[in-house]
Amino acid sequence: MSLIFGLLDIANIAQPAFLIAGSYAAYVLNSAYGVDPIVVGVALTPLFYLIGAGVYRVYYATFERRGEESLRGLVFFFGLLFIIEVSLSMRFGVDYRMAQAAYVGKSIDLGGGVGVAYRYLVPCLVGLAMTLTLYVFLGRTFYGRAIMAVSQDQGALRLMGANPIHIKTIAFGIGIAAASLAGALLVTIAPVIPSTDRDYIGRMFAITVLGGMGSIGGTLVAAVILGVAETLMATFFGPSWSLAVSFGILLLALAVRPAGLFGR
Amino acid sequence: MVRAVEAGYGAVRVLHGVSLEVREGETVALLGTNGNGKSTLIKCIMGMVAPAGGEIFLEREGRRVDLTRKSTEEIVSLGIALVPEGRRLFPKLSVEENLLLGAYRAQARAGIARNLAFCFEAFPVLRARRRQLAGSMSGGEQQMLAIARALMSSPQILLVDEPSVGLAPILVSRVIAKIKELKEQYQLTVLMAEQNFNQATKIADRGYIIVHGKIEFEGRDTRELRENELVKKYYLGV
Ligand SMILES: Nc1ncnc2c1ncn2[C@@H]1O[C@H](COP(=O)(O)OP(=O)(O)OP(=O)(O)O)[C@@H](O)[C@H]1O
Ligand SMILES: [Mg+2]
Repeated sequence: MSLIFGLLDIANIAQPAFLIAGSYAAYVLNSAYGVDPIVVGVALTPLFYLIGAGVYRVYYATFERRGEESLRGLVFFFGLLFIIEVSLSMRFGVDYRMAQAAYVGKSIDLGGGVGVAYRYLVPCLVGLAMTLTLYVFLGRTFYGRAIMAVSQDQGALRLMGANPIHIKTIAFGIGIAAASLAGALLVTIAPVIPSTDRDYIGRMFAITVLGGMGSIGGTLVAAVILGVAETLMATFFGPSWSLAVSFGILLLALAVRPAGLFGR
Repeated sequence: MVRAVEAGYGAVRVLHGVSLEVREGETVALLGTNGNGKSTLIKCIMGMVAPAGGEIFLEREGRRVDLTRKSTEEIVSLGIALVPEGRRLFPKLSVEENLLLGAYRAQARAGIARNLAFCFEAFPVLRARRRQLAGSMSGGEQQMLAIARALMSSPQILLVDEPSVGLAPILVSRVIAKIKELKEQYQLTVLMAEQNFNQATKIADRGYIIVHGKIEFEGRDTRELRENELVKKYYLGV
């Protein structure tokens, strides 16, 4: 999300739909063959990469190339979001689905009666590993640096010998692949229904902006801050407050640091 | 080598049959005051503006490579680098990231360590500020970074579009002298668009004067340029 929204300046609001699609893919293969959902998530990233790359190509050919990116592009992604959500509902219904894994139900004892369930620990570690990989990829590789540069000046990127369309295709593929993996992690932690994506549009937006558009480390910190704040609010004042908190914190933080916590 | 190039934007024709030639190892100045078409010509050579007519080609080892229909990326990968007008740095990336992007083309990646060391030696200020964001550097520093970034691609041909713009006179001399020094060190072929006549003729072997999109004069050496009537009229105020 941070990758596409922050680094590419493309308002891909369909991102959460790919997240949920990743959840369902993991759920289906998990319940049919008993494969670990996270293994499924990782194994399917190449497929989602290709889907993401394809989506960008279509978006580019129909909107961006004609300079109609902002409003019509938004409609395009909204349509995509809707199609994915509706197809998932039609195929799987609106019941909550959740994946099973060997370690679900077990937990690690940290002593003093405090324990962490593997159901949370494993997805969390995989999520961190994914974030770290993205971070290193962006900072240390030619493609990564080109992705960071592409929204700043496409013409100048051409002068470096890189094709901006090619670079954006790669970035989009990676963004969608990362979302699908995150979806697989999510379905391991908590139950998912096709419209779960709606809960995540606002949150993803808040996290991306709070972290500083396009900063991977910032996104992670922002996610932790908002996650903790939402949980606290939900515990003390009831769950209906939690989304309001995200945006409250976002507005406060932006008043102090307009570029986001780690934006440059 | 550029022959009879016509180009413009939309219905406006900016270049009217411009021809010029840069031979290997030369430093050629393209002189003209504001709005005469220097940048437009440079952009045509780099594939950033599509010419409406004429041809642009490269002759290398007896082979002729047509640049006229090539994309900017393809032209860059042939070993042609541009220090663009307005510098066009990536302001939100660090100095070092900008330099490394300069080495994006496949043929430049092997020489990264050596080229980076060269750039830092030529421009010590870039080494000192390599973690700083390019956008927060002074105009002079940014111009040096733009030149260094172009050199990171190990080019054989360097195009420079008005390196003097926005710099204090002392900095202009320094940047121009640096271009000459780098040209000798890397055995570059240089085409430099400039309106600062005095500075450009300090390092140019010869030059062209472009007025309203036409080459009005070709000076075979700097003396010929200095004594030309157009120059007297436009630059020396005689
Ligand atoms: N993108 C553009 N769209 C329309 N017209 C343009 C564009 N770029 C340049 N022009 C016009 O083309 C003419 C030549 O511009 P060009 O930038 O080539 O001049 P220049 O010699 O580089 O001038 P300067 O010294 O000011 O950079 C000018 O009349 C300018 O207004
Ligand atoms: Mg110009």
